[in-house]
Amino acid sequence: MATIRERGLEKFNPLEKVLVYDDFDLGLNGWLDLTPNFVHEDYRSQPSQVDLGSWGPSMLSAAPMRFAASHGSMEGTYSLKLGTRPTARAYELPPADGSMSTVIKRLSRVNHDHRYLQLEAWYSYTPAQDRWGKGEEDIRAFGMWFDIQDDEYRWQPGVRYVNSVNGTKVKRWQLFQLADAVTREEWTGSPDGWEAPGIDAIWCGRRYSDGSADGFQWVPEGEQSLVYNESPDKLNWLYLRLLVDLERREYVEFQSMGRTFDLRGTGATLAPTYDGISGLINPVFFIETDTERSVFLYVDSVVYSTGASPKA
Amino acid sequence: MLTSATTLVERRTVLAGDYGTHPYEAGWAAEALFFVRATEEHPELSIQPQVSPDGIDWLDHGEPVTLPADRALVKVGMSQFGTWIRLHLTGASQERPATVFVHLALKG
Repeated sequence: MATIRERGLEKFNPLEKVLVYDDFDLGLNGWLDLTPNFVHEDYRSQPSQVDLGSWGPSMLSAAPMRFAASHGSMEGTYSLKLGTRPTARAYELPPADGSMSTVIKRLSRVNHDHRYLQLEAWYSYTPAQDRWGKGEEDIRAFGMWFDIQDDEYRWQPGVRYVNSVNGTKVKRWQLFQLADAVTREEWTGSPDGWEAPGIDAIWCGRRYSDGSADGFQWVPEGEQSLVYNESPDKLNWLYLRLLVDLERREYVEFQSMGRTFDLRGTGATLAPTYDGISGLINPVFFIETDTERSVFLYVDSVVYSTGASPKA
Repeated sequence: MLTSATTLVERRTVLAGDYGTHPYEAGWAAEALFFVRATEEHPELSIQPQVSPDGIDWLDHGEPVTLPADRALVKVGMSQFGTWIRLHLTGASQERPATVFVHLALKG
């Protein structure tokens, strides 16, 4: 088992210090559903324009299929599966309750001389095979981000693959980055909203019919036809890698399969600090459905690494 | 050492009719124990554990459990369930809704 595990790391390109190597054959490894803070009267969470406790729960999955055998994972049997509920609204509206699924791992900054932070993952995506047809256009978007707070700012660098908008395929990558001059009311739907502009972009901000949104900017030349296959019961495993600079608070590189996007000089959106979370670094994965159909993101394995240099 | 995990498949979900909880894969686990917690006033709920070949079509598995109107918490255990599990809840209506949390404890 130890040999298999070490060899499994060969499909990654980590920085100097591997802090996390999670293979979901070994359990949930500390990844769990992202939920709001249930700290108000009657254990209510802070009000938001969407119910942040409604997202579909994650699970360990052998990727069972309706007409095929269980798919297993890229290596071993189990992956971490995010599954939305079968509910959606038009893209331009705030996300429907339950239309996403999110998982988070809660870490913190350890090596302060480690300026670079990288997350790598092998993953796949598909809809529930609850109707005939290919189903590719029913997956709206997926991706990952880091929730980071240092001593001065909270910031959330990340990537989102816009797969489909209102039934039309888009297949382009975006960065988490705020459009100019977005107000708190535009961001949260309320002048009293608690999310600062730039924070929690997957459910905040205005969205436009071409797939753009207040919280995201298109990656230059970021069109990429990721493998979907030809049926909901066929998975192909894909690779992504996001490298950020904690000192400059900038993106460095994003890699998706064989393409690497040089993002040096692209700043993340900086928001004021929140109480009690300085030093926090939380990687998050998410998927969103485009129609009234559950869609799934399968994460085979994750490596989170840091280093003083952007290369191992 | 066994692996165990708990999750909430429903979190303050409002039932206004028959309802199936979020389909959950538990193939790695040997035992599953659901807890249904109703908050506020609610009608009597009948809770039927179900299994599925594919997470889409569902069959009853074992006997239903009742959550009386004067109780807030009930458990529903399952074994030999294959992979997919959920609860099917009946008894709520538009006139008499229920708000529920559904916890799931897995071990295997």
